[in-house]
This record gives sequence, C-alpha cells and structure tokens, in this order.
Amino acid sequence: MIHIEGLQKHFGAVAAVDGVDFDVPDGQVTGLLGPNGAGKTTTLRMLYGLMRCDRGHMEVDGVDVVRDPQGAQARMGILPDSRGLYPRLTAREHLRYFGQLHGVDGASLEARIDRLIHDLDMGGIADRRTEGFSQGERVKVALGRALVHDPNNVLLDEPTNGLDVMGTRAMRTIIRQMRAAGKCVLFSSHIMQEVSALCDRIVIISAGRIVAQGTPEELLEQSGHDTLEDAFVTLTGIDEVTR
Amino acid sequence: MNAVLAVLKKELIDGLRDRRSMMSAIIFPMIGPLLISFMFNTVTERQRESQDVKIPIVGAEQAPGLVDWIERRGYEVVEGPLDPEAAVREGTVDFVLIIPEDFASDLAQARTAEIELVRDGTKKDVGASIGRARSLVESYGRMMGRLRLIARGISPQLGQPISVETVDIASERQRAAHFMIFIPMYLILAAFITGMNLAVDTTAGERERQSLEPLLINPVSRMSLLLGKWLSAVVFSCAGVVLTMASLVLAMRRVSWQELGIQLNLGAPEVAGVLLATLPLAFFASGAQVLVSSFARSFKEAQTYISLMIIVPMAPSIIAQLYSLGNEWWMAPIPVLGQQVLMTEVVSGEPVSLLSYAATGLSSLVLGLLCVWITARLFTRENVVFGR
Repeated sequence: MIHIEGLQKHFGAVAAVDGVDFDVPDGQVTGLLGPNGAGKTTTLRMLYGLMRCDRGHMEVDGVDVVRDPQGAQARMGILPDSRGLYPRLTAREHLRYFGQLHGVDGASLEARIDRLIHDLDMGGIADRRTEGFSQGERVKVALGRALVHDPNNVLLDEPTNGLDVMGTRAMRTIIRQMRAAGKCVLFSSHIMQEVSALCDRIVIISAGRIVAQGTPEELLEQSGHDTLEDAFVTLTGIDEVTR
Repeated sequence: MNAVLAVLKKELIDGLRDRRSMMSAIIFPMIGPLLISFMFNTVTERQRESQDVKIPIVGAEQAPGLVDWIERRGYEVVEGPLDPEAAVREGTVDFVLIIPEDFASDLAQARTAEIELVRDGTKKDVGASIGRARSLVESYGRMMGRLRLIARGISPQLGQPISVETVDIASERQRAAHFMIFIPMYLILAAFITGMNLAVDTTAGERERQSLEPLLINPVSRMSLLLGKWLSAVVFSCAGVVLTMASLVLAMRRVSWQELGIQLNLGAPEVAGVLLATLPLAFFASGAQVLVSSFARSFKEAQTYISLMIIVPMAPSIIAQLYSLGNEWWMAPIPVLGQQVLMTEVVSGEPVSLLSYAATGLSSLVLGLLCVWITARLFTRENVVFGR
C-alpha cells in the first residue's frame, strides 16, 4: 500500500511536482496518467527515494520514505525510467545480483529466480549474456530483477515503452497476475489505452498537479465525456493548449 | 557486508569478462619486461662494442712507440682513411688520430708534439670510444714525460704536484638501485593503470549504460555499493602489480648484470619488500579513480579525466627529484612519493623499518577510503545520479 500526501518538488524556479496526493491500495492496479513532462517520473523517483522531496509525506506499507528510504525500497519492486543492463552478465546473473542486494540468497533465491524465468517466459535467454538482447528481452530482465525479492508494492515507470504488440500483451498479463496475487501495482503511462485496459483506478497528473482521480467510470462522470480519451484531454487541459 | 561482497563478486565477474579491463591488466605487465630486455641489451651491447675499439691512425709509421703502447693495451690500430675529415663526417669512422710528419723529430728534441683528433662534436654516442683513445694517447704522453724527468735525474713526482683520487662511497647495490629507478616508477604506474578500467566501468560505465538508477534503488547504502566497486578495482590493481613484479623479475634474471658492473640482488626478501610497499597504493589509486570517474558522464570522459589525474600523484616525486630531496620523514604518507622512497630503500638493500611500511600503506588506505566516502556522498546528490 502506498500513500502520498502534499508532495512538492522544484527544479530551480520550476515546480515539477506541485502538491500531489494519492493512494495506491493493495490488490489493485493504479495508473498514473499524464502527458510527457507532467511530473510522473519525478513523483516516482521521490517515491523510490532517489530524489528528495521539498515537501510532503510518502509511506510504503506504513514505512516513511524520507525517514527510512532503504526500508521503503525493500518493500518495493521498481522498474525505473532507465533500465540499463550489464552487457557481460547473463539474465540469470542480473536476477541473482539484485536478489543478493535485497538480502535474498541461497536456495530460496535460486528458486525465486527459476520461478521468475518461467513466469516471464525467459527460459530461452536466461543463460545468455544480455548484450544484443531485443528491447522486449531487456525489459523482461529489468522487470525480473525488480521482482526478484517478491515485493508487495510494484512501481513501473512507463513499462511498455519500446515494446512491440506481443511484448505489451505479455506485460499486461504480468500486471494482471500481480493484481491477482494481491500486490499493490502503480504504473505510469502517457498512453490512455494502456491505462484504460488495465487499471482499477486512474490518477491523472498534469503540470505537477493531480487533476483528477478515481475509477474509469468516475472519471467519465467528472469530465462529462463518453470516452476516457476525451476525458483525459479535458481533465489534463491539453485541449486548451492545442486549441 | 553481504551487499559489499555481492557487489565485489559481480564487478569481478564483469571485469574478468571485459576485454578492455583484461587487456590493461595483462598487457601493461607484459610491456615492462620487454622494455627492460631491450634497454639492457642495448646498454650491454654498446659497452661490449666500446671495448674492442679500433683506433684509426693516419701516419702511424711516425710513432711506432705510441702504436706499440696502444696495441699492448689490447686495442687494434688500423690505417686511417685518406681523407679523415670526410670519413668522420660521413660516419664511416667515429674519429681519426692524425700524427703529423714532424712528430718523431719534435719528440726527439723534447718539444711538445701535437696529435690531431678528428671527431664530429654533434655525435654524442661515440663519446666513450673517443674518450678511450684520448686517454690512451695522454697516458702515453705522461709515460714519456716521466721517462724524461728520470733521465735528467728528477723525481717524476715534482711534475705532478696534485693528484685527484676519486672515492665512490656508493655501494654497488646503491648504484644498481639508482640504475633501477624506473622499476618503482613502473610498478607505481601498474597500480594506477591495471585497475583503472574497472574503476571507470563500475562508476562512469554504470551511468553510460543507464544502469545506475536501477542499482541505486536497491535497499543498500551508497557506501556499501561503492566499497564493493572500489575493492574490485583494488583486486585488479593488486593483481596487476603482482603480475608486473613477476614479469619484471623474470626479465631481469635474463640480463647479465656483471657486464654492466652492477650487482643486483633481487631475491625473495627484496621482492616481498617491494610488493609490500606497492600493493597498498592500489587502495589510493582505485579510490581516486572511482572518485574522479563519478564526475564523468561517459567512459571516455572518465578516461580523459583520469589520464590527466595521473600527473597529480606523480607531481610530488617529480618535485622531490627536481630539488633532489633525500628521504624526509614527511614523504612517507604521501601516496606515490612514499612508495617510491620505500622501494628505493628496499632495492638499495637498506634496512626498512616496519613503521615506514605502515605509515605509507595506512596513508594510502585511509586516503583511498576517504575518496570512496566522498564518492558515496556524491551519489546521494540528484544532479550526480541523474547526470544533470
């Protein structure tokens, strides 16, 4: 479970995140939706402790992110914006390294790695060095190492970026499986279809502020539109800019 | 602690599979011996050449006594070329002695007889053979002078009011150490160069590959991560130093030192002493490299910084040599300089106190750790992590 309250972040004079509040409940998929530059990645970076917030409060399973960033990080599996791999390590070695960094080791780690390799359909690439992996294969490795410690909370920053149709479908299946397993899933995206296909709840962010949040039905109601895409455009205020 | 080991293990595996890191860790130690063999073979060759100098003389028939004198000292007198100046200019001979026609009569009438030595002053490498020819002629002249004085009933010592006797207080081993000055230098360079690729790859490389952010979101302190990375570079650096030392020793066993008039004892105690002096430098070298490359956005940028940085640790030793400072107490804790002083002492066969080893080694360790600590602090800053 993730709780965010009054989050603010300035880069110089620019307010990148300007008062963000939302909750991500367990057993649900929550989408953080917003146009490019809206503050999605900055919000996530503060949540996983790589950026300091100027103001605000964040909790992961009740652990204060600012006070105990490592405690919070241990409860999260994160697929960040940059997902570089080590070209000379195999996929399996990536999972093992990150598992060890999370304090998992030995037989339980190996069992977990085998599970993930099966779940993510990586059997064919598990023992190959990642140099020359396709974009889809790279995302699988990055996702695998994020989930290797079996976290309760999963943060995915634009997880389908650069994936083809099959890759995107596979990612959706994985996200649904995590929801079924009772995980708290938060993923960010700028693609409406992506979010509407998966999410139980949608949080719309624009220019560093939360402009709307709720179930897809609630958002339609708020905006007075029939489709989520129109609702998105109206709620983010993109139409005012483009008009 | 487990995290440090996990990082160390991963970086070592990564480094061992990296052709770039392995190349610098293996090729550098191999170049040293090649350099040594080449250098010493050239030196011995030249010495051997200068020992069987042929002495070209024009007009040798004017001075049979001189020719006899030279030949009795084991040198060969050959007929000088017809045009001595042209021959020296073209380099067919290094020099020519010309004995003028009135040499014999001048000698007979006790006048100073002149002998011309034709040489090319721009050629420096023939100095030894010319010097030998000159001293042969001069010693013949002195012998003649003494004989004349004796013939007149005067003690030859009257004609030599002062004599200079040179006493070389440097032991042969010390001279050898001076000659071997480049071995400490080479080992110090080895400590810097063989671990460099790993130090760069584990920091600037992470950023270039965009793997830094995923790494930093693990619940591990920055210090643990950087300690692991630093230690992996230290391992490579130490392995490089040991490998360099081994190949230098092997190469030096094959050089004939007696011909150079040098006694070089490089037994197990000296090798151990040199290694004990150099290895801790790896802590400082890798630490400084980790720190410097954390400022770089890419591998290449980091390499540029580091190649510039290598001058900084060399500076104290260069200054010390410029002002020909001896062994001063404050030198021990300065990285590179301390190691150099220590190694020179070891190779000279002087007794080295454990305190000197400890002061030099500990200082490198502490300074290395300080660099790692600063880097860990830097990696908490957003502009460093995200390269803004």
